[in-house]
Amino acid sequence: MNCDELRDHYDLYALDIAEGPEPGEIRAHLQRGCEVCMAGMKRSLETVTLIGAGAPWAEPSSQLRRRILASVGLEQPAGLPWWAAALAVAALGVVALYLAAGSKQYEQTAARLRTEVREQTAQIAGLTEAFAILSGPNTTEASFGGAQPRPPQGKVFLNPARGVLLIASNLPRTPAHKIYEMWIIPKGAKPVPAGLFQSQEGRAMHVQSGAVDVASTAAVAVTVENEAGAGQPTTQPVIVAALPVAPR
Amino acid sequence: MLPIILAIYAGPEEQALIARLQHRDPQALAELYDSYGRAAYALVLRVVRDRAIAEDLVQETFLRVWNRIHLIDSGKGAIGPWLLAIARNRAIDYLRSSAGRERNRIELSEIEHAPLYREMEAEILISDQARRVKAAMDRLAPNYRTVMELAYFEGLSQTEMSIKLGQPLGTIKTWVRTALQSLRDELGVAVPS
Repeated sequence: MNCDELRDHYDLYALDIAEGPEPGEIRAHLQRGCEVCMAGMKRSLETVTLIGAGAPWAEPSSQLRRRILASVGLEQPAGLPWWAAALAVAALGVVALYLAAGSKQYEQTAARLRTEVREQTAQIAGLTEAFAILSGPNTTEASFGGAQPRPPQGKVFLNPARGVLLIASNLPRTPAHKIYEMWIIPKGAKPVPAGLFQSQEGRAMHVQSGAVDVASTAAVAVTVENEAGAGQPTTQPVIVAALPVAPR
Repeated sequence: MLPIILAIYAGPEEQALIARLQHRDPQALAELYDSYGRAAYALVLRVVRDRAIAEDLVQETFLRVWNRIHLIDSGKGAIGPWLLAIARNRAIDYLRSSAGRERNRIELSEIEHAPLYREMEAEILISDQARRVKAAMDRLAPNYRTVMELAYFEGLSQTEMSIKLGQPLGTIKTWVRTALQSLRDELGVAVPS
């Protein structure tokens, strides 16, 4: 169809009420930029647009503007009523308290974990030392408690370069504010303090690191002392491991 | 009537506004809404007759403009008529889908073709066309005004109007043509013949 044949249908097309083959023809003319049809359609659209003037006056809600602007990020969505805002503030307070409590709990957990790590690190260091003493070529060992009905039992290992390792079981629980103290007893001399330790479920492993003169050591003993330890034994020994001087 | 007239008779800053919209200035969208928001709402509400739905459709209209603003000529485009065409089309679309009516033969979006709105604003501003169209609508014989309202505000095709009004299709076509001619007479624009 040519433009003359389509002119009567511009208004109907603009109103979107055109029927028959003409709408497709007009569309094709517009798509190829037909100047006659573009001008005719523009005129029809002017008229159609103005027909909307018959719409009665109506005022949208104030929320609509906010909604539209919020949708492109210019404004926040509609404001809350005062009670909802108060409720929101209260809810935020609860959340803040919860988070604060949670934060404190996290701090406590972190502190506990740090302590555990320190303890485990110390244990690993002790085990490393113990392994070094046990595997040392010059280590001397001695047993104790074998002759008693239920005495503390175990062994001591002495390495001239590494130190002394005590492994014991059947250890009684120490009284309150008391602790076990190990002694290295030289031949013909006073006992030398060799560290403090506690038992766990009757068992204990204690390492006294550092060089030790195994040849001049007569025995390794353990006494129960005050928590601060003692310079010299103040109680009868619960463990005495006499060293038969004999390199392994 | 006032909102539409205000929309059509926008100020001379219109082209600058289009340019700002094309540069994604959100404040320009706020100004666009202040200029055309009520007009679009009044038009859409007249079509769908539901305030909540009308607001949803107006929001959709402004977002469509925001997302397609690059299609309009910032130097000669008429954003007001374009926006109102989009608003009307959204409303008619809604009306048709909610009524289960088959979509018309024309894709409504084609009427939103932005190049059609080039230099439209200037021509509308030359004369007091909007007021005259309103006056012309008021003066139309009831049957002519009815077919115009059914076509524009309800999107009924001539066949659908024929069924609705119980009139022969030829009669409806005559009424539509006569009504449009009367409106064009008021506008001082020659009816294509």
